[in-house]
Amino acid sequence: MKSKLGSRIFLALLALYFALPLVAALLYSLATKWGDTVLPSGYTLHWWTDVFSRPEVSGALGRSLALSAATLAIDVLLVVPAAYWSVVHNPRVGSVVQTITVIPFAIPWVVIAAGLQLIVKDTVPQLFGTFWLLAAATAAIAFPFLYWAVENALIAADARRLSEAAATCGAHPMVTLVRVVQPAIRGGIVSGALLVAATAMNEFALAKVLVGTRYETLPLWSARVFTSRTGNDPNALAVITIFTFGLLFALSALVVWLGRGRTASSTLALARTSSSAEKG
Amino acid sequence: MSHVVLNGVTKRYGPHLALDAVDVSVAKGEMLALLGPSGCGKTTLLRCIAGLNDADAGTVSIGGADVTRMPARKRPIGMVFQSYALFPNLSAAKNVAFPLTVRRRDRKDTLKRVEELLALVGLEEHGHKLPSQLSGGQQQRVALARALAPDPEVLLLDEPLSALDAQVRTRLRDEVRRIQHQVGITTVFVTHDQSEALAISDRVAVMNAGRIEQCATPPEVYAAPSTRFAAGFVGNRNTLELPVADGRVTWGDAFDVEAPTGERALCLFRPEDVEIGADGPGLPATVDVKVFLGAVTRVYATHEGTTVFADVPSRAAASLEDGQKVFVRVAPEHVHVFAA
Repeated sequence: MKSKLGSRIFLALLALYFALPLVAALLYSLATKWGDTVLPSGYTLHWWTDVFSRPEVSGALGRSLALSAATLAIDVLLVVPAAYWSVVHNPRVGSVVQTITVIPFAIPWVVIAAGLQLIVKDTVPQLFGTFWLLAAATAAIAFPFLYWAVENALIAADARRLSEAAATCGAHPMVTLVRVVQPAIRGGIVSGALLVAATAMNEFALAKVLVGTRYETLPLWSARVFTSRTGNDPNALAVITIFTFGLLFALSALVVWLGRGRTASSTLALARTSSSAEKG
Repeated sequence: MSHVVLNGVTKRYGPHLALDAVDVSVAKGEMLALLGPSGCGKTTLLRCIAGLNDADAGTVSIGGADVTRMPARKRPIGMVFQSYALFPNLSAAKNVAFPLTVRRRDRKDTLKRVEELLALVGLEEHGHKLPSQLSGGQQQRVALARALAPDPEVLLLDEPLSALDAQVRTRLRDEVRRIQHQVGITTVFVTHDQSEALAISDRVAVMNAGRIEQCATPPEVYAAPSTRFAAGFVGNRNTLELPVADGRVTWGDAFDVEAPTGERALCLFRPEDVEIGADGPGLPATVDVKVFLGAVTRVYATHEGTTVFADVPSRAAASLEDGQKVFVRVAPEHVHVFAA
């Protein structure tokens, strides 16, 4: 009994710790004025309509969504076949890829961005400062989320055995990938893809270094508004914070619903990514 | 006529020699069991026939055609895996139809064939179910139907029954034999269970350390093992190591047989070939304990510290008491002698 009560108190404190910043941001986005009182003195939807009517915001939102989509496309097309190959046909490749997946976490993204900048300048200067360089770089740092999800799904579905069974049935490897393996790992692809999209949506360091003001994404806009002396606009920032969180939360809920619990762990990871990005 | 022929098939995994120049052939319509302990190479051999493993040396031919370099999907085979390996997103019927749809067979013919096969394995009512809604035994029946669907020349079964519980296993074992007979398909069957191998195959290949030790009919393998490994692996046996004198090995008055050269010999004999009587002739021994097994009773008897076990008809064993003095003898033709 005692330990049950203890764990409940602990969970409640944890929930409070995570929820308070969000509740504060939500209230701020709806407040007329919030000065020296505990709660705002009045509520309004003014900030929400105001923020989304600004062309710079809708532009930044559009650019962030485009970046997400491009990153996602690159990662899905590269990572799913690679994971399939390493799990089903050549497990030795798997350990190499596993090592590579740690790089984005071991090296600060600013350093990765600066390194890319230097290489591109000397080798393919046409790419310098473009959207596609940003998308490729974001794909490179977000790919581990997709790789892990797909690899786990492949192992859980025993994709190797399924591929062998399909081969003895006379199926070509491409038919096997599309008709047998893909349906069996769809949950893993979807949850991994959402993590990639969330990472791209919230990515700041790469965008700042690689494209800067030439391609202002939502995080870049937020940072500019946050640090600007004249246009300091906390209510608008609160709106964007809540909006981004809501968007990613809705997507995670969708994954849970589609996966019926099978992808719960990945969804938790997605929620973690989005909330840490919010705080960052 | 030999339908599947393997010639000098060799396979290495690093320093480990999984298959050591294996030669074996399977006649048309025959069922060959590959029997051996785990790691003996029996599954590797089956996978070489299937094309899932490439042989490092040697050739595999099916129906007279060399398929050694042919990928699995082009070989005229059907395969059943230990873990069923059904496609989880497809219903039982669609699993069975899969080999036909990838071969672009006519839709109507496919439907008819699927119906036929589901009836053959007794699952007419379950065609619409997903694999996860079927029991292990039912899943394995679907896998068998799927393997048979394209009418392959050879059926390969990789420990198809070992994931099932004992009761289902025995029933499905007999059913696999019935279906194989009915279809008349050449079959290679991998198992580590000797009773399974002896029960349903036409010939048994006893494998050890990447080689085939003996390949013969089940009664031959059981009664006349040609190697020491085959003798020890198939069936329960008494094993005695005895000295050789003047080219013969004897165990008191129990038996006296010819021996191979060497100082000592290994004598193996089956418990059902051991005779135990209250009177001689024979080697005097004492009954230690009796274990009732139904039709027979296993009697353990000791002579000067050496214990042998005998399977005695339970009616005859009823007159034997624990601690009773008895005489043990084994007919010389039932004693298999190998160099120690």
